[in-house]
Amino acid sequence: MKPADLQKMSLLAKLALCAWALAGIIAQANAWGFSYGDQTGNNQACLSCHGKTGNVPKGTFIDPQRFTQTAHANLGCEACHATVPVNHPDGTKVPKADCRDCHSGISEEYAKGLHASKTNCNGCHNPHLVQNPKDVSGQEINMICSNCHNSLEMTAKHGEWLPQSELHLRMLPCITCHTGAKDYYISMYIVKSKGDSRFGKQEVAEYAELKAMADGRPIVSLIDTNRDNYVSLEELRVFNRTQKSLRLYGMMTPSTVSHKFEILDSRRNCSFCHTSGSGLMQTSFIAVPEENGTFLRVPVEKGAVLDALYAAPDFYMMGSTKNTRLNSIGLAVICCGLIMPVGHGFVRFLTRKNRKQKEHQS
Amino acid sequence: MSETKRIYLQPWPIRIWHWINASGIIILILSGAQIRFPETLSIFTSYKSAIEVHNTAGIIVSISFSFWFFYYKMVKNTLDKLYIPDEEDIKHGLVRQLLYYCFWYFLGRPSPYHATPDHKFNPMQKSAYLAVMFVLMPLVGLTGILLLNVTPLRVLILMWGGIKFIVALHFLLACSLLAFLCTHVYLATLGDYIKPMLIGWEEVEEHEDVEAAPEVVIPGYRPVRHYPEYERELLEQRHS
Repeated sequence: MKPADLQKMSLLAKLALCAWALAGIIAQANAWGFSYGDQTGNNQACLSCHGKTGNVPKGTFIDPQRFTQTAHANLGCEACHATVPVNHPDGTKVPKADCRDCHSGISEEYAKGLHASKTNCNGCHNPHLVQNPKDVSGQEINMICSNCHNSLEMTAKHGEWLPQSELHLRMLPCITCHTGAKDYYISMYIVKSKGDSRFGKQEVAEYAELKAMADGRPIVSLIDTNRDNYVSLEELRVFNRTQKSLRLYGMMTPSTVSHKFEILDSRRNCSFCHTSGSGLMQTSFIAVPEENGTFLRVPVEKGAVLDALYAAPDFYMMGSTKNTRLNSIGLAVICCGLIMPVGHGFVRFLTRKNRKQKEHQS
Repeated sequence: MSETKRIYLQPWPIRIWHWINASGIIILILSGAQIRFPETLSIFTSYKSAIEVHNTAGIIVSISFSFWFFYYKMVKNTLDKLYIPDEEDIKHGLVRQLLYYCFWYFLGRPSPYHATPDHKFNPMQKSAYLAVMFVLMPLVGLTGILLLNVTPLRVLILMWGGIKFIVALHFLLACSLLAFLCTHVYLATLGDYIKPMLIGWEEVEEHEDVEAAPEVVIPGYRPVRHYPEYERELLEQRHS
């Protein structure tokens, strides 16, 4: 701004400009003295106290490692806690932002669902831990639900109509059936038997174990052998055939997570999932664990990926994972059973006169 | 001289078992086909109905199988005698019965074996039923029970080779049972087998002078037990 322009401004405008400059100086001074976040994901000033369990009251502790993985960390602490008093911590409550300020669309969607009257956003999501669904496994998503929904009660309740309810609840994220997503993909996780026992419970394999198995190479190279960051169905089959201790488990996950939780009658139709080659089974990813606790999604060749998963000894999805060679063998066995009726029946028809003659003679 | 004699061949518990078993197996095959090929078959309307029907029919057939075993083994104590081929069956009976089905039947000759309450099955039937009732049925039932309880019986499933192996075995055993069913139904039409299984009684012609039959041996067509027609033929040849 030129001095000539300044002279032309009205007194009111000059006053406003001074107020704005003063506010900027105060804010800068405040930041120098007590930073609430630096918008780089480090948030060191806040975490220097809140990242240590002994320093702050229970409930205000924030796990620095996990917090830095969240999208909220990138916004900085002050994005949600903007008006922290200058003399913090003096015992006064620190104000929190309303989730609706940023997530208004989700909030409206959520308000229409069954959960709306039960709890708010914080009931399911800790803002200091929340991650994108694609960065967590289906089992981790279900752990959020099990905070309120007792797994035994849910198994019994689903068992009223759903065959093998325990198996279904273990193998599917709850949101697959209880949100009205339109598109789904198959998310495949590398699982490993607990304690390396053949009969141990299958758990999502951890980064350190897989890194050791990959022998210095990226973990994805265990499956993506040609390292083109794209897993073909053949590479999946080879992995299933050659890996002894590792398995792949497929989970049907919504592409876009809806927050309108509901009970959908369409999900009671078993062929929604149990149909080979359905549109829902075409897109898939392999979720490879990363060092920071998230998952790297590697795309898999389009196609009925569950057919490729059939090669995994412990994975079978009725109606969807079928071995076509086995179908052919079964058909051959049935045809063997038809040899007698068809072959013998034909000769029987041709020789019917012989038998009639004998009957007349006797 | 001959007269018609009625033999009580199939007691009522066996007849009930047989028809429960038959209808159960047919329902299992149809519902099983829909479960495996949901995109092409919808016999029992929804997939869930097919699963429920399959599970229920499977349980009924398993109970009915246990009843069959208990009845023949514990009540009648004739299980071994009826179902396990003896030395004579293996040495001559199987070949003779096979020759009958492949040749003699077409020439209008009578069956070399005639059923009695203590010897209901010909050597080929015995061998087939031995495989079906002592191998196929127990195995298909056991694999079915495992698949019905995947989570509680997970360790057992892994001990058997994993769920994929169990499913493959269950499927192939079911295909073998279907193959047997086709042959079984067809062979039932070759003789008077269906009526006794419905009403229990079989009518047979009995010849008075069977005892007087001379011991004449026709090459390739040896006398066997329960074969009055054969003795009658021998007598006719002798008189002519």
